[in-house]
Amino acid sequence: MGPRPHAGGRPSSLWAVPAISFFALFALFPMAVVVYLSFTKWSGIGAPVWSGTANWAKLTTDPQLSQSVRLSVLLTVVSWLLQTAICLPLGVYLAGHGRARALLAAVFFVPLLMSSAAIAILWAGLLDPNFGLASVLGPLVGVKDGNFIGDPQLAFWVIVTVVAWQFVPFHVLLYQGATRQIPVQLYEAARIDGAGRLRQFTSITLPQLRHTIITSSVLMLVGSLTYFDIVLILTGGGPGTATRILPLHMYLEGFRAFDMGYASVLAVLLLVVGTALSLVVTRVTGFNRMESQKEGL
Amino acid sequence: MSTTITRPPASGHGPGSARRGRPGRLARGRFNLVGGLSATVWFVIVSVPLYFLVTTSLRTSSQYLLAGPLSIPKNLSFANYRLVADSNFGVYFWNTLLVTVGCVAIVLVLALPAAYAMVRSQSKFVRRSFSLVLAGLAIPAQATIIPVYLMITKLHLYDTLIAIILPTAAFAIPLAVLVLTSSLRDVPNELYEAMSIDGASPFRTFLTLAVPLSRGGITTVGIFTAMGAWNGFLFPLVLTQSSSRRVLTLGLWTFQSQFGVNVPAICAAVTLSLLPLLILYLVGRRQLLAGLTAGFGR
Amino acid sequence: MTGTIGRRVASVAAVTVVGLTLAACGSSGPSATNSKAASGAGSVWVLTDASLNPVQQTSIDAFNKGATAKFTLSNYGNDPYKQKLQTAIGSPNQPDIFYNWGGGNLAQYVDAGQVADLTATLNANPGFRAKFIPSVLDVGKIHGKVYGLPMQGVQPVMMFANADVLKKAGIDTMAITWDGLLADVGKLKAAGVTPIALAGSQSWTELMWMEYLVDRIGGPEKFQAIVAGKAGAWSDPAVVGALTKVQDLVSAGAFGSNYSAVGYDNQGTQALIAGDKAGYELMGSWEVSSLNGSFPAFAKSAALEWGKFPTVAGGTGDPASLVGNPSNYYSVTQKSPNKAAAMKYLVDTLTSDTYAQGLMGIGQVPAITGLEKKVKTGTFAGFNAFTYALVGTAPSFTQSWDQALTAATSEKLLTNLQKIFLKEMTPRQFVAAMGS
Repeated sequence: MGPRPHAGGRPSSLWAVPAISFFALFALFPMAVVVYLSFTKWSGIGAPVWSGTANWAKLTTDPQLSQSVRLSVLLTVVSWLLQTAICLPLGVYLAGHGRARALLAAVFFVPLLMSSAAIAILWAGLLDPNFGLASVLGPLVGVKDGNFIGDPQLAFWVIVTVVAWQFVPFHVLLYQGATRQIPVQLYEAARIDGAGRLRQFTSITLPQLRHTIITSSVLMLVGSLTYFDIVLILTGGGPGTATRILPLHMYLEGFRAFDMGYASVLAVLLLVVGTALSLVVTRVTGFNRMESQKEGL
Repeated sequence: MSTTITRPPASGHGPGSARRGRPGRLARGRFNLVGGLSATVWFVIVSVPLYFLVTTSLRTSSQYLLAGPLSIPKNLSFANYRLVADSNFGVYFWNTLLVTVGCVAIVLVLALPAAYAMVRSQSKFVRRSFSLVLAGLAIPAQATIIPVYLMITKLHLYDTLIAIILPTAAFAIPLAVLVLTSSLRDVPNELYEAMSIDGASPFRTFLTLAVPLSRGGITTVGIFTAMGAWNGFLFPLVLTQSSSRRVLTLGLWTFQSQFGVNVPAICAAVTLSLLPLLILYLVGRRQLLAGLTAGFGR
Repeated sequence: MTGTIGRRVASVAAVTVVGLTLAACGSSGPSATNSKAASGAGSVWVLTDASLNPVQQTSIDAFNKGATAKFTLSNYGNDPYKQKLQTAIGSPNQPDIFYNWGGGNLAQYVDAGQVADLTATLNANPGFRAKFIPSVLDVGKIHGKVYGLPMQGVQPVMMFANADVLKKAGIDTMAITWDGLLADVGKLKAAGVTPIALAGSQSWTELMWMEYLVDRIGGPEKFQAIVAGKAGAWSDPAVVGALTKVQDLVSAGAFGSNYSAVGYDNQGTQALIAGDKAGYELMGSWEVSSLNGSFPAFAKSAALEWGKFPTVAGGTGDPASLVGNPSNYYSVTQKSPNKAAAMKYLVDTLTSDTYAQGLMGIGQVPAITGLEKKVKTGTFAGFNAFTYALVGTAPSFTQSWDQALTAATSEKLLTNLQKIFLKEMTPRQFVAAMGS
């Protein structure tokens, strides 16, 4: 493949083939197998037995499904709102300089270094109603017996909190880094024009952070749909089914009740919704058009 | 406006650090009460659990039950750490290290050329591949456990570290491609034109232009993949068996069953599993933070 | 032009990948060379248990000394173990001997043809067979044939109490009737402690209450009907009655208010009872050695008491019947290349004096007959003797329901039972949810 005289030596599609093939083999092909499994009855041992649409029909009779879907949607939306509301201002604030901010930023990053298992185990200890932090803080916030994680009403919000605790550092960093790259000239020009701090934030910072908001949001939304490590280890979907979000429901159906066929149906459902969400968000916001935000400066 | 092109900061020396020389100029930096307050609140929220973690790990088991969770430990005891270290911790650490290095290597070698192609190529196949990769972000890895297990077994790779590395790397590719395309995209077209006018092949352009200019993205991807591989849990669980192949996250789970009744020991295990990344972070913090964010462009 | 060539290459690559994968799928299978078999190495899979694993290791070392096929021991935590076994059994990576809970848990593997029938081996060794306590050996039988052999101590569930806490509340002895228990609950509540410690975040602890109540009210046949899948088994009055009584306890505040956040694995309930904050706890017999590990002072003191589960007025169940883990079992995989050696290991080890002594040394009560005098040793001689006698005289020993039932059913059972304890569900709704 020698130098081509036209259109600037663009790489052929061959460059993408190794990555695509590798990804296809270990991620896409198994997904296809899972689609196949959704039409079979299989407990994990022996061979899958074709069962047609029986598993899909189970979608209409599963008493747990609507709650799991509702919980997942709620978790996704609440997490996105909560985390963005925290991360954006924090990230912008930390983009400034000063020792205090540097120290804060240093500590903020630590949860990101911990694995989900580590975080879940730590919080399980904290939330012990008799010996953990919950026993001390509970009475202060109106939960007399420190029963956060055992209360069906509160357990969901515990999950929201722990997941936020885990992922806020990451998104704060995204916003912090992106804010640091906003050229100072824009702010100076605005100040000369007499714009106050709030106006600068809404007219300069926010628009310049558009790409970051989209990246961060896509990661948050799609991540919340499929992530369940923390929920599994911390509440196991309980108390009762108060935190049994959809991906956890899928896991429990597959690996506790050993109904791999139906679990595969739920997996396919998650995939379809997650993909659609990802594609819609990126298409609507023009993210996939490969433009540089720096053009025109 | 001038035609100054702002290069993506490759090592944190961009507009940010240029501003460092002019501290008083930023109105939003000075007395930001709201910002400062919320930052302090979040600081408390982050540091209290960490304080609990470290102090509990230094208590003995009976002390933990008698003393309050936030109290300052009276007699510091490293017995828990010794217990954890004696329980095969070194092996788990080494395995996790190998897995992490392997994953990062594979991901970078595969994703970089692919991202370059997706940004520069005009073929429809490549465009579709990008959408495919984006879709890949949504694939729940948990759902693919059984098929992946079957494949690994057929390839006679069961209970090896390679068995963990391959699927972990595969699932890291979408994010890597996303970040690298984002970073490569900001390399202006004019530079590419310039190189092609000089008669450079795509390969040379890649090596001498794209790679150096996307160093931020490469660092970001390296760090993300490393963190993902270091903290991976599901694949090691299903694809390895012997304790000689166990990684740190599985080790934690084992400690939970082994020492479930000993919360301080669990805290010691958690702290130890966190320590390597923490040390790396403290040593290379600036590079780490810059790398983590530079690749995302704006 | 670039595009066309690129596309063609890409499609060729894609086809090659798919083709290779399909080829790989077709070629290998369980009959492929098993490197383990070639070197004569076998594996035994067990649960992680700090005190039991050394005993198991010692017995394997002793066996390996005289054997050509040598075994290695691998241990895993509880949840990972079940998952691992599920995916490994029948594949080249399966173990030769595996630890299991007998009953429905084992039945699913038997029905898939993955477990070796040990009946013939047992019949060929009548002395060996006679040494097992019959009610315990029975749980290792599926469809009348023996597929699992007891390898651990008997673990009936019983009531534990903190005598000091009880005395302070004005109670002299542990309750032996249900009404007596309810009265005690009232007294303990008045004394400001949690009457009964319950690890509500892990529903298998709640299951023990339901198991005993159904047994006391209606006898073991009620559960056997459930296992057999008989129509209307769940809606039996004994089941409904048991659940109603459970909710009576909850309403009376017997478990305190934050029980659904308390865990067992992190010593939540042990801390309560050992810390003089709770009066009673319903738990398996392993609780004593477990307490000895985390609260040795309390475990060895006279404050720790034990007794049978109370009787229920008007119930038809025998007060001497037990529920719990009769034992745990070793089974041999059907496709194991070391089947003969595995069976020999089992026959040589499981009823040997050394092994039984090893179990007793860690505070377990082996499921072997004739040990009345021997079990009365060690720090908990009295407790061991009590447990042994309990099992010896029990007319029935029902296995824990979540081990006896299929995985799908027990998953549903545990989830719904948690809702009963949270009073989110009525007994009628529970019955409807369980499907009969």
